[in-house]
Amino acid sequence: MRAAKSAYPLTWRIMDALEAFAAFVWPARFGRAIPWLMLAPALLLVGLLVLGLWQIGDASLRTLDTSTFLMSETYTLANYRRAFTESLFAVVAWRSLAGSLMVTAVTLILAFPYAYVMVRTSSPVIRKLLLIALFLPFFIGQVVRAYGWLIILGNQGMVNEALSLVGIAPIRLLYNYWAVLFGLVQYMLPFAVLMLAPALTAIPEELEAAAGSLGADWVRTFRHVVLPLARPGLVGAGLVVLTLSLTDFAMPAILGGGSQDFIANAIYDQFFRTSDQGLGSTLALLLVATGSLLVGLVFTLFGAGTLAMGRARQ
Amino acid sequence: MTAPLSKTIVLWIFVAAVLILLSAPTIVILGASFTSGNIITFPPEGFSLKWYEKIATSRDLWDAFLRSLYVSVICTIVAIPVGTLAGIALAKYAIRLEKSVQIYLLLPFTIPLIGSGIGLMLIFGEARLLGQLWPVGLACCVINLPFMIWAVTASASSLDPDLELAAASCGAPPLSTFFHVTMPAVMPGVISGSLLMFILALNEFLVSLLLTDARIVTLPVQIYNSIRSIITPDLAAISVVFIACAALAIVLLDRLVGLEIFLKSK
Repeated sequence: MRAAKSAYPLTWRIMDALEAFAAFVWPARFGRAIPWLMLAPALLLVGLLVLGLWQIGDASLRTLDTSTFLMSETYTLANYRRAFTESLFAVVAWRSLAGSLMVTAVTLILAFPYAYVMVRTSSPVIRKLLLIALFLPFFIGQVVRAYGWLIILGNQGMVNEALSLVGIAPIRLLYNYWAVLFGLVQYMLPFAVLMLAPALTAIPEELEAAAGSLGADWVRTFRHVVLPLARPGLVGAGLVVLTLSLTDFAMPAILGGGSQDFIANAIYDQFFRTSDQGLGSTLALLLVATGSLLVGLVFTLFGAGTLAMGRARQ
Repeated sequence: MTAPLSKTIVLWIFVAAVLILLSAPTIVILGASFTSGNIITFPPEGFSLKWYEKIATSRDLWDAFLRSLYVSVICTIVAIPVGTLAGIALAKYAIRLEKSVQIYLLLPFTIPLIGSGIGLMLIFGEARLLGQLWPVGLACCVINLPFMIWAVTASASSLDPDLELAAASCGAPPLSTFFHVTMPAVMPGVISGSLLMFILALNEFLVSLLLTDARIVTLPVQIYNSIRSIITPDLAAISVVFIACAALAIVLLDRLVGLEIFLKSK
């Protein structure tokens, strides 16, 4: 009895039962559907977002009755008219768009050398340190990081105290546009470096050596060899930084102090301050459309870059 | 090959600037949390642990932290099977409409967080689920799902398909092949992906802000609500909790799969 048990242990029996069950509910001739079966839960989960967009679309076509605070029963385009004509939204949209473009440029310029050194350094210790310095803020979250900047840049913050030691009057560093952009660059750096690094790893070091041996100095090698070959990474990183900073909420809210609203803050206010779900939904939908348009444009122009998640190209 | 001096200098100026930019908030928060003064000043006034005592006895903060942990656990538990199966399917099989499926699964990234958050708020509101915590966990899972799928596809595409065929030709039925050949190969991706999902859900702010009410705020929302113009050190002490969690996650990630996995080219 005992010998038999050890010869055919319980786990095997369980596996046999599972295999029989699997073969019963999913015979081999259904094999072609297996990938879809595996994808189904993910497709369903993401379906929640599609459903949410549908709801937003529905709400965007209803106006708020200010006497009863109920949404209208009939559909109208009045919210879209307001979104496009009221100057407040144009100001906010322009501020967000210009800001996110600047943030993207600065972030890429700063992230590229960091990613390059991290990938190319011959010292494993330096590489590890650079990775840790990158992941720590990435894992800490936006609110805490913004709070750190409040301590540093506040009116009685570190920078101003240090300035007063050398006799300079306090400068108002917070609650302006540049503080928000500064916070966004810091928030985006880890994303950018992590999207750039795989693309840089893919560039053979010999290519740079070859360019060097043909007489190119390192600046020219960078411009004509490294940068063009790193394009998938630059596309991926640029796109992620652009869309995330365009739609960010926390940095404008905390470092802008309410005076530097981005689109997301305007949407939030429509929902929670003026309780106008219709107009808020309209703005949200327009933002989603803008974001998708940007992504689509970049994908068709440059390809998916390092964002692709399918099979490795053979 | 030794790099020219000018290249080294220019590169390291950038690296140093980025290092300062990345680390300054963390270091300052750590320093501020040990102050013995009642407001944060520079240079700090003396050393004390009194703010840690204060947060340790604060029921509100503890509850908010536990709620954040709960949200992260829900998010990770859902993400592991869903993301793993989808990742393996994308990496292994040539399916029809592959491009469309990929674009669809990237929706959580291409739809701005405020859009996803508001959409989920509307449908959870319709389904009368607002005011509970598990929908927040589910929402965190949806918006970060591409991270999990990426992590898994990255390790699954390095799995030689011949290995699975070999297992099958040795007589292993499909499930055994899956558990003994496929799963061990994608394990590094599953581990790094689920760690990422956990820590991102722990830190998730905007979606939590939209989906929670005053009774069930998570810790990032609690901190956001407490930020006032006068900066008190108790917030610094709570923030150190997040720093500690982040440090722990990094150590785990490094031990289990190695941070260098993120430098691998696809």
